[in-house]
Amino acid sequence: MTTLLGWLAALSLAVGAVMGFGVAPREVTQGNVQRIMYLHVPTAWVAYLAFGVVLVASIAYLVQRRPGADRVAHASAEVGVIFTGLTIAAGSIWGKPTWGTWWTWDARLTSVAVLFVMYLGYLLLRGMIDDPERAARYCAVLGIVAALDVPLVHFSVYWWRTLHQPPSVLKPGAATMPPAILAALLVNLAAFTLLYVYFVAKRVRLLRAESEALA
Amino acid sequence: MADHWNFVAAAYGLAVLVLGGYWRHLRKKERELMTAGAQRSRQPSSSGHPRPGPAARHPLQ
Repeated sequence: MTTLLGWLAALSLAVGAVMGFGVAPREVTQGNVQRIMYLHVPTAWVAYLAFGVVLVASIAYLVQRRPGADRVAHASAEVGVIFTGLTIAAGSIWGKPTWGTWWTWDARLTSVAVLFVMYLGYLLLRGMIDDPERAARYCAVLGIVAALDVPLVHFSVYWWRTLHQPPSVLKPGAATMPPAILAALLVNLAAFTLLYVYFVAKRVRLLRAESEALA
Repeated sequence: MADHWNFVAAAYGLAVLVLGGYWRHLRKKERELMTAGAQRSRQPSSSGHPRPGPAARHPLQ
């Protein structure tokens, strides 16, 4: 099942690349550098999704104390950190030619950096505590608290004056972009979501095998 | 505006490196766990001493 998911993710990523580089037109204002959007936006979406899953799984763990919920939270946080790092890096690379700077301490960028550091701390906390039950409990609390930053990240562009543009897709009302660009973006969103599901499924299986080996 | 293909290549190249690296890390961990599991199942007893063959055992064992 996981292998099938992996192939499906690889295939959809290939289709996403064709859509992003072959089908979607060159953007008039920014030129071809705008094609970074087909990477930056899906990785940001997957980061939101990953930390949303951490929130739900952490609440489920605190209520039911099932190790399976903790494993899902752990796996999703790990994958979420990777995708958040990629979002920041791709955004920074896109920012240099369009904004003229690699980084600026505006509300969107700063809140994403805080999110990244909080979930890095989550992973460090797991590594620091030897007792698995205690590590799971502490991390569940941190996972819930850190997830509160996700709405702050998303709405920061509305609440403060930022250099970062407001959302074009994840907002009320119709998307404000040409259909060909929107189609390429949606295909890439689906592809990266599949990749996230594949990574989490694989990581959860490994975590279960690790805990069985230690038992 | 200039196309800045080098920036596009850098962003996608970095993504391939990071995601590919994570995938390789998971594969390596999976192989290690499988090897450790196979070694454990090959171990004759928990004490590390081989179990005596049926002929060498006491009849009441």
